[in-house]
Amino acid sequence: MPHSSGQLYVCRYQPPGQSYTEVYAPVLSRFWEEIDVVKKRKRPRIRLNRKPIQRPKVLPRLVNHPDPIVSIIIPAMNERATIASVLREAGLVHPRSETIVVVNGSTDGTAELAEACGAHVIHVPEPLGHDVGRRVGAEAARGQVLLFIDADMVIPARELRPFVNAVLTGVDVALNSYSGPVRGKVAHPVVLAKHVLNGVLQRPDLRGASLTAVPHAMSRTAVDTVGLDALEVPPLALAKAIRLGLNVQPVHTVPVGKLNPARGRIGKKGSRVDPLTALVAGDHLEAIHWLLLQQGPRGGYSDLGRQRGKVR
Amino acid sequence: MVMVTRQKMKVRRKRRSGSSARLRGGAIRRSSGFSRKGRRGVRPSTGRRYAGIPLQRLKAKAWAAGARAAAQDGAEKGSPQMQACFQAWAQAERVDQLPFTALLTASLAYRRGYAHAAGLSKMWIPLPLKSRASAIVTASNEEQTLPAVLAELRKLPLHEIIVVLNGCDDASFTVVDRDPRITRLSFPERLGHDVGRAIGAAIATGDILLFTDGDMCVAAEDLAAFLIAIDRGEDLALNDLTPHLPPFSQQDEVTRCKAFLNLALGHPELKANSLTAVPNALSRRAVRTVGTAALIVPPKAQALALVRGLKAGAPISVDVIRKNRLRTSNSGAGNAVARMIVGDHLEALGEVMKTEGVRLRFSTIGRSELAKVRNAR
Repeated sequence: MPHSSGQLYVCRYQPPGQSYTEVYAPVLSRFWEEIDVVKKRKRPRIRLNRKPIQRPKVLPRLVNHPDPIVSIIIPAMNERATIASVLREAGLVHPRSETIVVVNGSTDGTAELAEACGAHVIHVPEPLGHDVGRRVGAEAARGQVLLFIDADMVIPARELRPFVNAVLTGVDVALNSYSGPVRGKVAHPVVLAKHVLNGVLQRPDLRGASLTAVPHAMSRTAVDTVGLDALEVPPLALAKAIRLGLNVQPVHTVPVGKLNPARGRIGKKGSRVDPLTALVAGDHLEAIHWLLLQQGPRGGYSDLGRQRGKVR
Repeated sequence: MVMVTRQKMKVRRKRRSGSSARLRGGAIRRSSGFSRKGRRGVRPSTGRRYAGIPLQRLKAKAWAAGARAAAQDGAEKGSPQMQACFQAWAQAERVDQLPFTALLTASLAYRRGYAHAAGLSKMWIPLPLKSRASAIVTASNEEQTLPAVLAELRKLPLHEIIVVLNGCDDASFTVVDRDPRITRLSFPERLGHDVGRAIGAAIATGDILLFTDGDMCVAAEDLAAFLIAIDRGEDLALNDLTPHLPPFSQQDEVTRCKAFLNLALGHPELKANSLTAVPNALSRRAVRTVGTAALIVPPKAQALALVRGLKAGAPISVDVIRKNRLRTSNSGAGNAVARMIVGDHLEALGEVMKTEGVRLRFSTIGRSELAKVRNAR
């Protein structure tokens, strides 16, 4: 078509006398020089695999309800890295809740951060440990449901709500039904101790569930029945709760084994030796001791008619 | 034409590769033959004197020694004599220091040699025991299995066999042979679990006490391992049930209790092995330390022995789980016997808590110090 070919011609038209090279060559050479300068300076290459820049998240401030139903208790010692996220999730669990952070022995500003997030902070200068920290929090709690979580792992609010809901619908002690690794022939001492305690309490259906593991929730009745002192030794509190006829149920599984940061020193053969293992196993023995005091030397189990008098 | 040549070429190539492979294979085979010959001397050492000597030669040597012992004239021939000869030979040749499997091989070969030369059969299995051994069998209505159990026990160089019968309505009493080594005790009423073994232990005179049940037949060769373990200085020789256990998630309450008791007493290496499972053996020192009455509750005896620093081990694994006679009382989850054994373990824990404190071997480092250790910054 003549018209279109004329258009094309107009596009490519250059005024005579001024050739392409005459006009553009000086401009281009300056450009390449600049490029060279830049290359000599070694401008950093843009890395595609880089992690996105961490910006401080805009956290909604926690609101502690004046008349709470749910009290969320978080013992914390030097947990600046995770406390803000933990508190954010805690704030989303229930509309009428209060969050109590028991900051003990902290030297890294956990308390200030928690206060800035809007939590009710209890300061204790010396370290208490998880269990005593929970007891201190429970003393201050005003809600009907007490939800216990840890400050060192962030559990989403949707994983925490089942525990609260179970207690609101009649369960007294709502446990995490996570049993720990049980695939090998020999289990970890703590896993073994939990299974044995539930077995001798005649609750094998609980498997390895325990008050030692978070998250768990207790009703106000349960706390009053087992007593605040028992909360310092969680297996003892569980033994008391079961023996005193409370409704103890494993309600939801949160695999905390994977969330828990590895601690303790490296022992023989490269395995990790955590001093907590001995403490928790000892706690279970205390629970068994209480059971023996309550139920007699055989813990309420029969002797199947042994005639012990026959042996001198 | 082209096709044909290609085929030919292929064949030739194949042949060449085949022949070369054969050559290489031959070379490998020859070299491997040499290396096997060379490796013969590098067997795992089986003892101070026998290091480097294969089991076959030990066997031949034992056979010859047995035959020589039987050929000595003037002496009376019989199992007790063979036992004495074997003991002297084993000590002289340091066979008694070999690991149990090698020792048993030598012992059986010696017995064959002796029996061959003396023209006897039904000989004992000679064992290099330094002290006297007693076996205690408890039975209640076991006329079917008791003769076989006793036949196995009589193969061992035991000083005495005590059969404690209780609450038997069948011919259990009459099926027990009249043998100078067997002592029969009979109680008309049922004594209950493990009371019979405590009674047997009370009247036993040996320094090694081997306990079995009348309801399951365990080979004499397996029982010998328990005798040897005690003779070599252990105080508790337990049956190693670990190979027969399912993974932890499928284990029953009783197994977990056993493992927990050992763990709480600072012996995780014993795993779920317990005096509750027969066969097992005790040293005289163990019986004296824990007292005969404690043997009524086997976990209690085990706990007291471990707390008082006695040596415990599991020398051999005998599958008693499958052999155990099934009754209504001992099968199914939460059965009466299982519940009784759980009670036994609680009683054992309570007993040791009296002297060792409630937390036993687990550290008493405070929660506060622990928090410092774990969360310090």
